[in-house]
Amino acid sequence: MRAFRRSAIPTTKSPSTTTVAGRPGKSAARRTTAATGGGRSRWRSYIWVLPAFVFYITFVVFPALHTFWFSLFDWNGVSRATWVGLSNYAQILTDAELRGAIWHALILVVFFSWLPILVGLVMVGLLSRHQRRGMTFYRTLYFLPQVLPMVAVGITWRWMYGERGTFNQVLGWLGLDSITRAWLGDFDLALFAVGLIGSWALTGLCMMLFLTGVQKVDTNLYEAARLDGAGPIREFLSITLPELRGEIVVAMTVTTVAALASFDIVFVTTNGGPGGQTTVPGLLLYRLAFSDRRVGLAAAMGVTLAILILAAVYLIRRLVGDVDEQ
Amino acid sequence: MPRTNTSRTAKRSLAVIAALALVLAACVPGGESEESPDDGSDQDVSTELSSEEVTLEMSFIDGPDMVDQLVAAFTEENPHVTINAEFTTFADYVRQITLAMTSDTAPDIAQYNPGAMKELIVEDELLRLDPYSDAYGWTDSFPGVSLEQLMSDEEAQVYGEGNLYAVPGGLSLTGLFYNKSVAADLGISEMPQTIGELETQLETAREAGVTPIMVGALDSAGIHMWGAMLNVYMPADEYRDWVNGVDGGNIDTPDALEATEKFAEWAAAGYFNESANGIGQADATAQFAAGESLFLINGNWAAAQIDQEMGDDAGFIAFPRLDEGDPVMGNGFSVSYSISSRSETADAAAAFFDFLASETAAPIIAQNGFLPPNAEAAPDQGGVLDELTAEFRQVVADDGINSFPDFAAPEILDELVSGIQSMIAERMEPADFLASIQEIRDTYHEES
Repeated sequence: MRAFRRSAIPTTKSPSTTTVAGRPGKSAARRTTAATGGGRSRWRSYIWVLPAFVFYITFVVFPALHTFWFSLFDWNGVSRATWVGLSNYAQILTDAELRGAIWHALILVVFFSWLPILVGLVMVGLLSRHQRRGMTFYRTLYFLPQVLPMVAVGITWRWMYGERGTFNQVLGWLGLDSITRAWLGDFDLALFAVGLIGSWALTGLCMMLFLTGVQKVDTNLYEAARLDGAGPIREFLSITLPELRGEIVVAMTVTTVAALASFDIVFVTTNGGPGGQTTVPGLLLYRLAFSDRRVGLAAAMGVTLAILILAAVYLIRRLVGDVDEQ
Repeated sequence: MPRTNTSRTAKRSLAVIAALALVLAACVPGGESEESPDDGSDQDVSTELSSEEVTLEMSFIDGPDMVDQLVAAFTEENPHVTINAEFTTFADYVRQITLAMTSDTAPDIAQYNPGAMKELIVEDELLRLDPYSDAYGWTDSFPGVSLEQLMSDEEAQVYGEGNLYAVPGGLSLTGLFYNKSVAADLGISEMPQTIGELETQLETAREAGVTPIMVGALDSAGIHMWGAMLNVYMPADEYRDWVNGVDGGNIDTPDALEATEKFAEWAAAGYFNESANGIGQADATAQFAAGESLFLINGNWAAAQIDQEMGDDAGFIAFPRLDEGDPVMGNGFSVSYSISSRSETADAAAAFFDFLASETAAPIIAQNGFLPPNAEAAPDQGGVLDELTAEFRQVVADDGINSFPDFAAPEILDELVSGIQSMIAERMEPADFLASIQEIRDTYHEES
């Protein structure tokens, strides 16, 4: 199985190869200048990068360094700050509430990332085998949550989770009145309820990515697999899944970042409640900076969050990725 | 060759980053504080407006319609004064007001917010209004407690005494709304005067399968409910010392514990809606208006909506007392305004403040959902709004307005919401709750 996948790669990738080969002059010329070490022309080429570079330094690199700098101070945002070194970071690691928020964010990864990817893969497995009518319509439909502002999504779900909300009405029709409750107020279930909103919002994105990915798979592969007597599950595991690896990495990266950096959904639905069961780092960062006026600690929280996200992205690329090497 | 290139580029970018870091290292956040402006303590004040043209810049958050109408009414009486009122959303306001007020283009009048403006008091950027208060006699025209709430010491650590930094426009008050037809169905004909009578009625409702009190504890109504309990059991001066930051103020007391235990007891007894932790104030109000409970804990800001949806079916009472002789209490604050120390037109601004307590201003303030500082001049509006005004007059007469509990320290709000939710869910002991919030207050006052 793996063998014919390998052999298929040149055919699928061939269009891109021709485009590159189509303009050999240009890239060859560039390579020559670089090799001969024509210093001036190399510097000239930097001029083209300069506007973007200046923009990037001013609005991304500089603020990031600035944030790190703030994180070394105890500062209320107005009067003179006091240097405290790394003690803000020590506080993040020892404060139970701040650590709890990081733990909640990790639980949200299951709902924001794993669940949407799983559902997305299953749906794609069902849809990919045959050309179906109305695919564009479904794609639009599933992608819709991505277009809506998260705040609007959050408010809508807050109503749906309410005591008289859609959720409880449906449970009532099913005769499950005994388990109805105000879901966002339940100490054990509120975090899961918030997580499901993320699943709903991000499943469409994953499906879109996977559907697009599956369309670039040579249909001959499926045909060959079928001739070899592969069933739908075999087909999915041996063709669809490996071919989608790149898309899975992208989906996992985007959704994991969304989970770890989540703020808006939590802010409009529970604001961290009940009793701090749904606090996330983004929410605490906002509180620390804008209501508690502890800018240094908030900055340290931001830096910690950024490191956590970078580590997660690195892990995803290492464990699932290795796309670059292929 | 390419390898050397990359490492050179890497070195260069490292150098750039290091240079940037050095630039950053040179500046400590906050910087030097500029020369402090005149704090106005020895200024000449005048209650007579000269006839020359004056323009006031004003920055505010709440009630754009009310401010427009008040400005229009004031400038009609004083045609040579122009007020440019600029509306800002709350989130933007609290972030920007410190910068705005310390700039050369500081507005003359700014809506007061004790949390966001703390540093401005310390830096003498807010004009002390005591000379104007004396000149105009504001202690007579405004409710005493509502002026006290706007006083502070010069370090902005202790509120309720010291200099006057703002003047109230519209006041707020919490209490119990009730549903008259639900009450009639339960055979309740008279509203409770004491906490004991209230408890009996709550039990009657619960036995009949009616939700006794609707509480939207997902956001802030849990605090209003707990605050109401404190007003019953905790002596007002003790509570005010605690909430205002007076040295030695303490909430970890037997009285406060009794109040908090009563709160937890009511939650456990089913006197609050089962969904309390899962719905916010707005949803709780809507469910009460739909006839789903006997009482609702909320404030005057919900009165207009309740009046519209329930008409004569709705009523309002201040929260009952321990004994009938006790003062009538409620939690409340005000939409209030300060003058910038940098303003050169403070006399005109103060004249506008004085106008807020006038008989002309009262109906404008009342129609926009606030309680006017001039309680006597509040107009009749019918239904629940009149009951609210009557109770408000009583609370003002009894000096019964207490600041909301979250004024005790900037970081206390989230702990209050979360702790109260935990008590409602029977996951936190009242004694632990009080100890935890006292600790936050202590830490805050130790650090600053």
